[in-house]
Amino acid sequence: MSTGWSLWVMFLVVLNLGITLFLFLWGPRAKIPTQPDGTSGHVWAHGVLREGVRRLPMWWIVLSAGMFVVGFAYLALFPGFGNYKGLLGWTSHGKLARDVAANDARLAPLMERFGLYPVEQLAGDPAAQQMGKVLFEDNCAACHQRSGKGNVLLGAPDLTDGDWLYGGDGKAIATSIHDGRSGVMPPWASLGEDNVKHLAQYVLSLSGAPHDAAQAAAGQPLFATCAACHGADGKGNTALGAPNLTDKVWLHGGSVAEVEQTIRDGRQGHMPAWSPRLSDAQIHVLAAYVYHLSHADGDDPR
Amino acid sequence: MAYRHFEAIEKHAGLLGILTAIMVSIGGLAEITPLFMEAHAVKAPPGVQPYDPLRLAGKDIYVREGCYLCHSQMIRALRAETERYGHFSTAAESVYDRPFQWGSKRTGPDLARVGGKYSDDWQRVHLMDPRKVVPQSNMPGYPWLASQKLDAADIQARMRTLRKLGDPYSDAEIAGAPAALEGKTELDAVVAYLQGLGIRNEPATATAATAARAGQAGAP
Repeated sequence: MSTGWSLWVMFLVVLNLGITLFLFLWGPRAKIPTQPDGTSGHVWAHGVLREGVRRLPMWWIVLSAGMFVVGFAYLALFPGFGNYKGLLGWTSHGKLARDVAANDARLAPLMERFGLYPVEQLAGDPAAQQMGKVLFEDNCAACHQRSGKGNVLLGAPDLTDGDWLYGGDGKAIATSIHDGRSGVMPPWASLGEDNVKHLAQYVLSLSGAPHDAAQAAAGQPLFATCAACHGADGKGNTALGAPNLTDKVWLHGGSVAEVEQTIRDGRQGHMPAWSPRLSDAQIHVLAAYVYHLSHADGDDPR
Repeated sequence: MAYRHFEAIEKHAGLLGILTAIMVSIGGLAEITPLFMEAHAVKAPPGVQPYDPLRLAGKDIYVREGCYLCHSQMIRALRAETERYGHFSTAAESVYDRPFQWGSKRTGPDLARVGGKYSDDWQRVHLMDPRKVVPQSNMPGYPWLASQKLDAADIQARMRTLRKLGDPYSDAEIAGAPAALEGKTELDAVVAYLQGLGIRNEPATATAATAARAGQAGAP
């Protein structure tokens, strides 16, 4: 605040407190001319109502005096009187920094303990699960659902099954969260609609889904194109995030129409990077929670 | 002053009203006027750019659809808020927001730093029908955005008006608007706007603070 505006605020504070303090001190001492009947002579409603003259009640005087004490104390301790910073030096940013530091200090022993264990082992820790659940619902549930079961509309994978696009060990999960993932399957409409249909039948046959054997046979030679990412056996490639086509897990839906659409138009899946939105320590705990989702407490390696 | 002066005030309702108004307005004059007058001196920090044509269109649709009735774009300096939404907002971040989107009344979450939190696809599906991605959401869907095309001439006129108000748009940027808006729908514009919120305009100290937090195991 510039000096001019600071002086403006000071002037208004002095004016306001000056007027009210004057009224407070002078009011009880004011000499009010009293009529013989004990009233001030002010009448309303043609004399039906007349204004009596009484001393101010003690509770009102004490309360008002208290307000002045609080008001002056506030102006002395806190910023309020122009640019004067107050005896306490209080600022909202300073308060925030103290709150954050106090919370960090409270969590420090816990986070330090969490940091000692690899993700796979931390997944069995109830305290880590509890903190991870909060982080998951705040940040991940929008795409993966609160249950972690994913969303076919977005191609957000189910995190509760044992199927992993980019690897399911703790390090791979933490990397996925830290850096995000972008999956790109190019569109293959250029192969022609018949070939797209044949390929779709072949892809369905890989996982033993109901399919047209003749069309699948026609599609098999075309799969060489797909093998570059999905492998000759269709088992996918976690280095590229190419899904395994031989299991029953479908990222973008496993109906004939959906598989055809995937081949024809391609698919783009995007998971944002969560660093630096989340700290490394938070990502570690979150990775443990995600690991826990697909590992029942029974087969916890610990 | 004597009692008769107060008697005069007490007996003349008009005078009493005027003097009461003066006393009541002192608080506002002290708290609002200086900030209001000094707001014009706030300069855009490095990293805060005027909205490009697509995001500008998105911002105006955001206002038109009344998104601000449920969503604020102001992270307050309180731990509960910085924990959830990121670094607290500063006035300098909003210099190109006309009207600004501050507020503390929220039905939905604060959006000041929502850019990049979700994928473009998520934003698209969510705007069309929020319950397809967040089953418990009570936000209405905005499916008509997908079928409305943007009017480039209108956006250019807005950019010229904003330039009169001081936003540093160059002639080339205004001339380039039709190319940038070619074939885009209102949905594209809103997604672009949302994905840009809070991106690259955190106060300089924030990056250092975030890095420091990320480095220490005790960070929450």
